[in-house]
Amino acid sequence: MRQGESVLQRRISLGELLDGESFTDVVKGFVELYKVGIKVFDDKGAKLADIKVGNGDFCGYVFSFPEGRRRCTATVSRVKDGPLGLSHGARLPVIDSDDQARAKGMVTVPCFTGLRYILLPILWEGDTLGRVVFGPFQPEDLKDFPPPSLKEISEGFDTANATRFVEKVRRAPETTIARVLLHFARLMQTMIFAGQKMFLTTQLHIEATLEQNRDLEERNKKLEEMNQKLKDLDRLKSAFLATVSHELRTPLTSIIGYSEMLAEGLAGPLNGEQVDYVRTIMDKGETLLKLISSILDISQIEAGKVRLSFEPMDPFELVNSSVSSLKPQAQKKGVTLETKLPPRPFQSTGDRDRLRQVVTNLLTNAVKFTPKGGTVRVLLSELTHQPDLNTQGFRVIVEDSGVGIPADQFDKIFQSFYQVDSSSTREYGGAGIGLAIVKSFVEGHGGVVRVASEVGRGSRFTLILPALPSTQAQVNITPPVTAIQAPADDRF
Amino acid sequence: MLFDGTLPDVQLNHAQRELTVKIVYYGPGLSGKTTNLQMIHQRTQPDVRGRLLTVETHDDRTLFFDLLPVFFSTAAGFKVKVKLFTVPGQVIHNATRRIVLQGADAVAFIADSRRSASAENNSYWKNLNENMRENGLDPAQVPIVIQFNKRDLPDTRSDAEIEEARKKGKEPVVGAIAIRGIGVLETLFAVLQSAFRSLDARAGLTKNIQLTEKEFLTQVFQNIDTSGTELERLFPPRVKPL
Repeated sequence: MRQGESVLQRRISLGELLDGESFTDVVKGFVELYKVGIKVFDDKGAKLADIKVGNGDFCGYVFSFPEGRRRCTATVSRVKDGPLGLSHGARLPVIDSDDQARAKGMVTVPCFTGLRYILLPILWEGDTLGRVVFGPFQPEDLKDFPPPSLKEISEGFDTANATRFVEKVRRAPETTIARVLLHFARLMQTMIFAGQKMFLTTQLHIEATLEQNRDLEERNKKLEEMNQKLKDLDRLKSAFLATVSHELRTPLTSIIGYSEMLAEGLAGPLNGEQVDYVRTIMDKGETLLKLISSILDISQIEAGKVRLSFEPMDPFELVNSSVSSLKPQAQKKGVTLETKLPPRPFQSTGDRDRLRQVVTNLLTNAVKFTPKGGTVRVLLSELTHQPDLNTQGFRVIVEDSGVGIPADQFDKIFQSFYQVDSSSTREYGGAGIGLAIVKSFVEGHGGVVRVASEVGRGSRFTLILPALPSTQAQVNITPPVTAIQAPADDRF
Repeated sequence: MLFDGTLPDVQLNHAQRELTVKIVYYGPGLSGKTTNLQMIHQRTQPDVRGRLLTVETHDDRTLFFDLLPVFFSTAAGFKVKVKLFTVPGQVIHNATRRIVLQGADAVAFIADSRRSASAENNSYWKNLNENMRENGLDPAQVPIVIQFNKRDLPDTRSDAEIEEARKKGKEPVVGAIAIRGIGVLETLFAVLQSAFRSLDARAGLTKNIQLTEKEFLTQVFQNIDTSGTELERLFPPRVKPL
């Protein structure tokens, strides 16, 4: 989007730079002090100030004769619109030598009445923005009044009258008037500078506000569009998940169910090998079902749809039930499962089902990554003060004598779909979401997960859980982050 | 100057025989943009420059922008105005930055050389590119010169690191300690030279108004006190400093 052209991009006129009212006041004050009239015009000839003093009666008298009027008009138009150079009757002013440097462009224009004007261009940043017309004044070197050019305008010209009127016009040496004009020029420079600053500040303020507004509107529009898109996507995702979950689970349940019936001989006896095959179908079916449930879980967490429901629970039961659900798998693999519970039972609060899922996930991993003959140990601590949480709580430790995790992978293993060994030929299966779920649920309880491991020796996962999770924590259940780094295009 | 949908036009007014060259000093807050202009102002003959105008906001007295005009007439009688602007560094003044950047003929990007400032430099570099795009300025046509300022502070990048940064792009790179006047005129020279070359390519200054790069740079720098800078030999100072 393009904004309009800024005031910074165009030439600013003298009228815009000067504050009209205060400028007129300054000119008025100046005129009163020095008794010489001042007119200020911009470069298009528009009048910005016109303060007269002393010459009214005299000029009025001259103006009353037709020829006087004609000559007067010519002079006025010469000083107002004529060139600022040394032509059309203008000449260099008589000026003190030390004023010369500053008097650049100053010219004197004599009036046919014997009076005089001095003109000065208003220079600003190399531009001529307009001119100051100073006068008319009565030059001190004017000896023979009235000059023939005035007397000749009419036979009825009354010298005595004119002399009486001209006395009211300021009489001074041209050098003095020139110096006063230089003084005025300096004052103008200051006023233009102040005016420019004020003008630009105000204009820029307006422009910046409009620009900001435009920016915000544009951003709002984009946000709205994005919001709509996200809503659509979210709806699509929910629908997709529901469908997938239904469409996958329904046939899978049938596969498992029919396998089970086959295995149990409901459709007639099977020989040993057949039973083995059918049980494999069942096992793999269960694994697939769990995987689908986990994926659904993680999508629920990511969608922020998971609400933990806290209720009184028994940590002993939590550990025991998780361990017993893993027992068959451990047995089958030849891995010893040991449980160590504290001497006294205690009560806690938490989401029983989710925590069971947490411990089960850890146990599943432990059994999965521990070779035959290894040991998986589950330890439950007593209820004590937990410095990590700064509150009462307990720990559940799951230890194994498995393959271990390299230390530089400790952070990554909690990201969704992350596997330490992500090669296609990896030894261990799984989608890499178990630990992501663990972390989200534990943190949802206001707890933490710690990992310690040594490659080839085993791993230890420690859950530190508060006895009473704050209700704040469950709202903040954070989805596991998949670290995405923007490509580096830094110049510095 | 900008027109919708077309390439930025050169501010060349044949009727008034006038050429305006707009240079914008861009960069993070406190990187030394105003200091650069103050130094140029100090060293430039008063009769070829205007006052250094500093426009502040009404409310919080933070800087809006600075403006320093430098002007001269060419041998062929063309009036040339070089307008040096700074943008406000504060993050919230992005709208103003964009307005000031309108119609720029070249940009001097003032970066803080300290390693700790890299993130800020990068974010303003991105901001500059975004705002140029928003203003319809084509980075291929509007040259940028990078000044690595504050070379005297601890934690400043080494020469090798600056060399490294130079190689990352095509922009000329100048080291500076603006507060002591070091590198300021060299940056001005580089940015004016780039601006002239780009304008010459677009508007044929040499052909159309008989203004050569040499005359352009000489007209500016003969009125600037170059003593103690790398430009001293090219443009010997006419008036010795006090």
